[in-house]
Amino acid sequence: MKRTWKCLLPLSAAAILLCATACGNQSASVGSGGSELTREISIGWSGPQSGGAALYGKNTLDGLQMAIDDINNAGGIKVGNETVKLKLAALDDKYQPNETATNARRLKTENNTTIIFTPHSGGVFALQTFNVQEKFLIAAYTSEPKVTATNNPLTVRIPPRYDTYPKTFSEEMMKRFGKKVALVPGTHQYAKDWTALFKKTWTELGGEIVAENPVDYNKESDFAPAVTKALAGGPDVLFVGGASQPTALVIKAARDQGFHGGFIVMDQAKVEEMEPILKDLKLLEGVIGVNPAYLYPTEGTKKFVDSYKKRFGADKIPTSETAYHYMAMQVFAKAMELAGTTDDASAIRAKINDACKQLSDDNVPLLAKGITENGGFITEPKATTMVDGKYVQIPLPAQQ
Amino acid sequence: MPLGVMEMELFFQQIVNGLVLGSIYSLVALGITLIYGIMQLPNFAHGHLYMLGAYLTLWMMTIYGFRYWTAILVSVAALFLIGMLLERLVFRPLHNAPHINSMIAAVGVMLFLEAVARKLWGSDYRRLDSPYGEVISVFGVTITQQRVIIIVAAIILMIGLNLFLKRTVIGSTIEAMAQNREGAFLVGIDANKVSLLTFGIAAGLAAAAASLAAPINLVYPSMGAMVNLKAFVIIVLGGMGSIPGAVIGGYILGLAESISGTYINSEYKDLVAFVILILILTVKPTGLFAKEAR
Repeated sequence: MKRTWKCLLPLSAAAILLCATACGNQSASVGSGGSELTREISIGWSGPQSGGAALYGKNTLDGLQMAIDDINNAGGIKVGNETVKLKLAALDDKYQPNETATNARRLKTENNTTIIFTPHSGGVFALQTFNVQEKFLIAAYTSEPKVTATNNPLTVRIPPRYDTYPKTFSEEMMKRFGKKVALVPGTHQYAKDWTALFKKTWTELGGEIVAENPVDYNKESDFAPAVTKALAGGPDVLFVGGASQPTALVIKAARDQGFHGGFIVMDQAKVEEMEPILKDLKLLEGVIGVNPAYLYPTEGTKKFVDSYKKRFGADKIPTSETAYHYMAMQVFAKAMELAGTTDDASAIRAKINDACKQLSDDNVPLLAKGITENGGFITEPKATTMVDGKYVQIPLPAQQ
Repeated sequence: MPLGVMEMELFFQQIVNGLVLGSIYSLVALGITLIYGIMQLPNFAHGHLYMLGAYLTLWMMTIYGFRYWTAILVSVAALFLIGMLLERLVFRPLHNAPHINSMIAAVGVMLFLEAVARKLWGSDYRRLDSPYGEVISVFGVTITQQRVIIIVAAIILMIGLNLFLKRTVIGSTIEAMAQNREGAFLVGIDANKVSLLTFGIAAGLAAAAASLAAPINLVYPSMGAMVNLKAFVIIVLGGMGSIPGAVIGGYILGLAESISGTYINSEYKDLVAFVILILILTVKPTGLFAKEAR
């Protein structure tokens, strides 16, 4: 017993020292600007940091962290007569909505966060049950239309809604390959909703669904059995989608079994993330999906891609998650400046439209043109499809 | 093509697919059942040793430029050592503690290994490229070379393990321990040595299974969780601690998944697997090949 205590003493001393130096660094970095007051506020984040979706979570966090660093390095934001620096407070929710709710309560009480980011629809729904009452803004990274359909006054949906995609995707694939589609989507709720919408669109356009075979994209050891069954229906097009990397494996399994048709890829999977898995880009011929974020044609996007490469390596490209989070953080920071407050969620929300207009495409990637009344960023997504080994961009209908 | 032929092709394709799945499941389940047989310890960390094996093979190939088979050998050897190390450092000190302590330690090892993998290799999904990506087509059934290798290698490993246990002295000591602990002590078998060896072999098997299966899937820190769960279902189904049980159970589960996914509904395939489990346990509550009650 005595030995344990002896051990504990130096350990705890070390811990205290570590804490002290960490805090010391922080206060040192917050320079005082003359007579102005400087303080630091936390930006909340709850998302997956462990389990199968950990990479997705990390990508979203990278975007936030980059934006926060850029804002702080530029001197922070001016709120009233104060200079405010930002700090990230991130908690792991393992992709579980109930954990998101617990985390949000913690972030609110421990870090006093007015803005909480969460990158999954389940988490957003959970937070929407109490965010108005507890007065915090949800920065929702999900393309689920229901998130904004509820008219929650303190929710901001960052990416475009997924109902933008099915019509354009379907028309293009019908034209090129034919009217028979087989479905091999994921089994998570998001995929189910997407699939339901897609089925409706496809049949309304006169298409036929020859097989429906959902599989769990995160739990499968081999996708061959699921693909075999889908292909037995003799489809012209396969509908696939889950996380990018397993989606790439589904595409590969279909090609291995001799499928030559097209692929409609749900917006969750990104072409730029499938490429390194597939390596042979010929496998992507006839794929239609969301245009990669890094190809968005603005100066701000170019700058962002460069600084991402500088930070994470020249061979890396930022995903949509990273770029959109960077953009959203910049917009929120601007909105706090305009609103003159860091803790009145409704006032910040009211200034988001102006914030989008005051920022410039030359500095911010994928900048939203404004925000709809029910809280969706107005963005301009495009589709991309590979024709004869080259990516071709296809415009999508504007979002209301 | 007449409909009947297509139906047959679909059926055989799914049998082949099921065999691939079954081979992977069996190899993972074998490791768990070996350890359970000797130490009555459900090694929850086994799936994560599997993950470690895949990463090591990938590492050997990308950093040191080893060939696929050489990389597998190095990875199996490394995991053999890691397995023995785990036994010596984590599980042996708990030998006389209540049983639950070892189980909690196993969960701890699992979390630890995943955290280590995230630290060392990041959360990215990686791909282990084997040189065997070609597609073979026989009578309308298509299969990639890698999948053929999985099926064949699994059989070779199982036969090898069986020969080792039945025909060598060291192997027999493991079997003896599994059959009757006290009896084994009486004839002078060193329990510590056997436990050490068993852990090594189980971890080595995990590395072999992972290195074989990884090219048809992805390598990432939580990749072991899903096979681990399936493997536990298998050893319950086959009888805890039984080696033939793990092998047969693995193939039953693999085939059940691919066949039920085809003829019932893919969304119900896990359900079908568990219904089979329940049916077998209703008829034989101790599993298919349970050892005699002691």
